[in-house]
Amino acid sequence: MNAPIIDPLQGDFPEVIEEYLEHGVMKCIAFNRRGTLLAAGCADGSCIIWDFETRGIAKELHDKDCVAAITSVCWSKDGHCILVSAADKSLTLWDVVSGEKITRTTLQQTPLQARLHPGSAKSLCLACPLSSAPMIVDLNTGSTTVLPVSVSDTGAGLPPPSRNKFSDGSPPFTPTAACFNKYGDLVYVGNSKGEILIVDHKNKQVRAVVPISGGSVIKNIVFSRNGQYLLTNSNDRTIRIYENLLPLKDGLKVLDELSTSCDEVDEAEKLKAVGSKCLALFREFQDSITKIHWKVPCFSGDGEWVVGGSASKGEHKIYIWDRAGHLVKILEGPKEALIDLAWHPVHPIVVSVSLTGLVYIWAKDYTENWSAFAPDFKELEENEEYIEREDEFDLMPETEKVKDTDVNEDDEVDIMTVENESVFSDSDMSQEELCFLPAVPCPDVPEQQDKCVGSTSKLTDSNHSGSPLSEEAGQNGQAMNHASSPVEEDTGGTRLKRKRKPSEKGMELQAEKVRKPLKTMKSSGKISKIKNKPVLEQDTDSYVFADDVTDEYH
Amino acid sequence: MASGGGGSNPLPYRPYRLLRTLAAHDRAVSCVKFSSDGTLLASASLDKTLIVWSSQTLTLKSRLVGHSGGISDLAWSSDSHYICSASDDLTLRIWDAQSAECVKTLRGHTDLVFCVNFNPQSNLIVSGSFDETVKIWDAKTGRPLHTIAAHSMPVTSVHFNRDGSLIVSGSHDGSCKIWASDTGALLKTLIEVNGPAISFAKFSPNGKYILVATLDDTLKLWNYSTGKSLKIYTGHVNKVYCIASAFSVTYGKYIVSGSEDNCVYVWDLQGKNPLQKLEGHTDTVISVSCHPNENKIASAGLDGDRTVRIWVQDT
Repeated sequence: MNAPIIDPLQGDFPEVIEEYLEHGVMKCIAFNRRGTLLAAGCADGSCIIWDFETRGIAKELHDKDCVAAITSVCWSKDGHCILVSAADKSLTLWDVVSGEKITRTTLQQTPLQARLHPGSAKSLCLACPLSSAPMIVDLNTGSTTVLPVSVSDTGAGLPPPSRNKFSDGSPPFTPTAACFNKYGDLVYVGNSKGEILIVDHKNKQVRAVVPISGGSVIKNIVFSRNGQYLLTNSNDRTIRIYENLLPLKDGLKVLDELSTSCDEVDEAEKLKAVGSKCLALFREFQDSITKIHWKVPCFSGDGEWVVGGSASKGEHKIYIWDRAGHLVKILEGPKEALIDLAWHPVHPIVVSVSLTGLVYIWAKDYTENWSAFAPDFKELEENEEYIEREDEFDLMPETEKVKDTDVNEDDEVDIMTVENESVFSDSDMSQEELCFLPAVPCPDVPEQQDKCVGSTSKLTDSNHSGSPLSEEAGQNGQAMNHASSPVEEDTGGTRLKRKRKPSEKGMELQAEKVRKPLKTMKSSGKISKIKNKPVLEQDTDSYVFADDVTDEYH
Repeated sequence: MASGGGGSNPLPYRPYRLLRTLAAHDRAVSCVKFSSDGTLLASASLDKTLIVWSSQTLTLKSRLVGHSGGISDLAWSSDSHYICSASDDLTLRIWDAQSAECVKTLRGHTDLVFCVNFNPQSNLIVSGSFDETVKIWDAKTGRPLHTIAAHSMPVTSVHFNRDGSLIVSGSHDGSCKIWASDTGALLKTLIEVNGPAISFAKFSPNGKYILVATLDDTLKLWNYSTGKSLKIYTGHVNKVYCIASAFSVTYGKYIVSGSEDNCVYVWDLQGKNPLQKLEGHTDTVISVSCHPNENKIASAGLDGDRTVRIWVQDT
């Protein structure tokens, strides 16, 4: 992005619902690394990939074997693959460009969350099943490695499903949360005793323990994108932010050093001592008034903001804090429970999924930038006193203001070098990152009037759609003969509107039909958004009718 | 050979010469563009057709028929499969370059559509029109995503920057505006008080500068973030038509432009005076395009000429 006039990270937060996406019932969402594509897992087992720029469907991943609801979606770092976990206990790895399944594994239990290893191999993933310990699954072989979830598990590695209790007799299992650190060499597990375990997943060893005060069950554990901060969401209705003290790479080596240098004899105490050097509690967030439980908390792309959804049913509330702990905004949507949340990796945009299956896109309220209208316009915070020069209003005939030649011909201009975007400079991938899916223009329905002499679109069912159309043509003869510019006339508009019906049978229009009409939402600020936009025409109005093209004809 | 400015190209200038003249249009040729991969060349004409040529053999591959009005501009998608054309019949059409069929028609403008461009991802199309608006379309569905009331006079030129985040639009009202492509918000205005009409504007390959042509025989290179013009190129004639220019970066860095004195002008990027005048056309050279990989220039002439000429460097 061009830094000079757009700040790529903008450091701001969304305020109003900008749009919503509708296609079936979506359950979970994930942005690709650059935020250009949004993958959404649906209740019918398919996965939809939205082109976030055009807000249209770029691809649909269907598998006739899998019809169970998707529980989580995860992109690979290079954007070429998506890992999907479903309610039928399966994990499927898809290739995005071809839309083909790469591999599918079935586990013993439904995984609630599945995350691909951040490395380039794409064969390992971390799955958190419904009611047993998180495990590393090798997608190629299907083998699973259960991770220890408690200090007493160190080295044991017993198979999960039959065990319902810890060996020390604590109450039965509740789901644990786990995530990879930035480079995937360590797994951070949050268990039901309120402890964060740093696990070396290759050797299945717990290397450090960080207990959380209060010891309540940890429901979510998430790293920020840059790997510097860790977030936990506990049953005590508190979100905690920890600073990661380990280096991003070579964490294991540092853990080894800490271990050997630690004097503690007792294993458990030793792990806690090491743990205290790995994570430092930074902040706690809670809503002390309503004391709501939190759901799906996460960081913003730059880690400056923390966002969490309210777990209360019947309300769709999103809380945004800055990392220092101040609550900056509460976004309130229509009264539907929130089931998933994601912050755009780059823009100040938040996407939330409601229980009804709609995906809401929250963005900044548009305010006119007045200094953009003329080169010398400058927006002032407050009135400035202007003191004119002594000779400001004098007439000076000879000394014409010398026009600065703003052209210094001696300076060399470089039109080719591109600066690396600092936002994505952590890319160390060898393979080219997939940012966009090719947009293949969907063929138009063949038009009745002879405007397009010699050009036919490639719609396979053009014959099929031809007949109902000609019937309507017969009825409204005069409308059809409007071969002149498709402007203004309502009849012209109606003609096109009718054309939509037969074309809905076309397969590509399934995507069109469900692309979002923009309903006027009652959320705060939306009305003011329309008022503040003198320059832009109200495209919002034209999208009220789902497939209507009429409103474009002004 | 005029001297360049301070910093000179490390490579000595090698003059271009005429390789071939392609005559296949019945009316003025309005635009000529090489495809992004360089294998094809497309030309658009007031005779309401577009022609796709092979840029290797320079033979006619197909003719795209369908518009009911003359075509003013065309653009290639990044994968070189699709061409979008802007026409006087108020529509834009997306053509499949291989099959020569019209895939989509984009309707919405209320006056002739003058300029068009794809974004690098090729999922968006931007168009500028005599109805003074700039429209951003979804290339896949043909839906207009944004309509921007951009200028107070016809929009003569629209272009996306390197990563597709910005759009520059130039207009006869003398202003050059930069828009955010995701929201349609105005980010910057470059305007000279009582300045001349802007006939053409495009981003440099790295997206940092804008090359702006004005109807006072001048081409300027602006740094839009500071709002200062850095380079000025003169010597050609441009008072009436919206003449397209191009950056030539395959061998040294040059600016190439058409002119109303029937020549193609080549300047050193750092310089001021033209390095070469390519003669051969018999009417105004309205459009030039540089091949992405080879040292080849294509140029198009108006009604008195109706040809596309290909120029290569002497070996």
